[in-house]
Amino acid sequence: MTTLATPNTVILGIETSCDETAASVVLGGNDVLSSVVSSQIDIHARFGGVVPEVASRAHLESIIPVVQEAVRLADIDPARIDAVAATVGPGLIGALLVGVSAAKALALVWDKPFIGVNHMEAHLYAGLLDDPTLQFPLVVLLVSGGHTMLVEMIDHGMYRLLGRTIDDAAGEAYDKVARYLDLGYPGGPAIDAAAEQGNPEAINFPRAMMHDGLNFSFSGLKTSVINYVRKNPNVSNIDVAASFQAAVVDVLVAKTIMAAQQVGATGVVLGGGVAANSRLRAQLQSQGQLNGLRVAVPSRAMCTDNAAMIAAAGWHRLGTNGPTAMSAGANPNLALPVVA
Amino acid sequence: MLILGIETAVEHVSVALADHRGTLATSLLASDRRHAESLVPMIQFVCAQAGINTKELDAIAVDTGPGLFTGMRVGIATAKSMAWALDIPVIPVCSLDILAQRVTRCDDIIAAALDARRGEVYWALYRPASDASPIVQRLTEPVVTVPDDLAALLNERAQMVVCVGSGIERYKDTIDFVSTAQCAGPAYAQPHAQELLIIAAQRAIREEWVSASDIEAMYLRAPDAEINWATRLTARDH
Repeated sequence: MTTLATPNTVILGIETSCDETAASVVLGGNDVLSSVVSSQIDIHARFGGVVPEVASRAHLESIIPVVQEAVRLADIDPARIDAVAATVGPGLIGALLVGVSAAKALALVWDKPFIGVNHMEAHLYAGLLDDPTLQFPLVVLLVSGGHTMLVEMIDHGMYRLLGRTIDDAAGEAYDKVARYLDLGYPGGPAIDAAAEQGNPEAINFPRAMMHDGLNFSFSGLKTSVINYVRKNPNVSNIDVAASFQAAVVDVLVAKTIMAAQQVGATGVVLGGGVAANSRLRAQLQSQGQLNGLRVAVPSRAMCTDNAAMIAAAGWHRLGTNGPTAMSAGANPNLALPVVA
Repeated sequence: MLILGIETAVEHVSVALADHRGTLATSLLASDRRHAESLVPMIQFVCAQAGINTKELDAIAVDTGPGLFTGMRVGIATAKSMAWALDIPVIPVCSLDILAQRVTRCDDIIAAALDARRGEVYWALYRPASDASPIVQRLTEPVVTVPDDLAALLNERAQMVVCVGSGIERYKDTIDFVSTAQCAGPAYAQPHAQELLIIAAQRAIREEWVSASDIEAMYLRAPDAEINWATRLTARDH
């Protein structure tokens, strides 16, 4: 660690990669002084998914009020901010550029470093932010609308990709099934709510690749659900939702435990938007404990997109890599930096 | 009154710095699609050339469109954030005003048009700047239409008109049918931060400015998804 990132370093984090405009002030890499998230869910709901141009316009309108609120809630003088971090990818390019432009402008005026942060890496830090006592190596299950992956956190900045989806992301399957069942948008919370009243054992949907390595596949499951409902038009939606959710969660949990055992991890961490799912949270906790693993299930606010994780990851990046050049842009396809 | 001008709403990115004496420094990048990467380094460059610290700025002027959606958002997000952090006002200026301001020593009216892609142009008509009034005066509200609509209006007005901008260059064949029109030429096809600051300086005198959170982009076009949605609703209603 260089002297750039110390326990006294205050970082303003900005996140605009998808449909949340977020800003947060974090002290010393893990003390969250404020975390503000302005969600656009309502404005995208009628389209049944995030519309990039609509998202970018909303980010531009919200960025200053959100940053202002984060600084106000942190109750600090802006002069106390030592660096400004923003998500530079992956995400929607037009959306990312609003946050990157704002962060660079603030860094310029305050004469402080700018730090470009990888959104996926930030999700890995969300668990540590919630529980700083976790010890490496850790296995992180990252599940969202755009990603489903198992990552080994060997150390700070050292990650190994253990498995990933070969087709749809888990969150994508949720959205598609929810749309098919007409349960609403976003699909995750809609199915979660419906599933709570249904029977998870009503229909035995396939658990794809259950015992076949650490990769995932969800597109077949989505098709089975649609075929089942077509053949059984009188089936109850809540039973379909509960059984679909059980199939997704079974696979996610089994592979996470398998991955942790393979690499000798001390614990497992849950992250990403789908990590807000109640069955996934409960199952991972009970299965982890059964297998002698420490399970970190961060708060729902920390699992979904937020800027506290951006500031926290930014603190580590600043310490290891130093500031990012002011000539940096955004990269919609930015990959997680992994070791071989 | 020290003002920073930011132009990112078109293909060319430009930045300028001016005070009561006029332009102090400018920077222009004519390569497409490097707006977010180039803007802050260009601001640093003009400030360094003029020996100015950003903390000395009194206002920030920015092109708020119509133009490239992503490009103008880069400029507006930057202007908003700088203005908020410095606690200074922002002067939003329409891209077509800036374009029209590029036409000097003109007695006719001006048609400023930017290429809006998809076969359309953003355009407005102006009364030129004069000794009495140093900035152009807008005669029609900015709109986005096919170039034929602009040509039809110019023919109808039957008044000498200087046509300027990338929208004119792109649809020269259409404009050539207007007998009263003459073209300013490709050298003036894009708005530039220098003319942005000429307009901003006049507005600053009258304190015609807004706070950082009150700047709005002028898109003129709804997102495609909203257009499709509206079409669907209309179809359902009938």
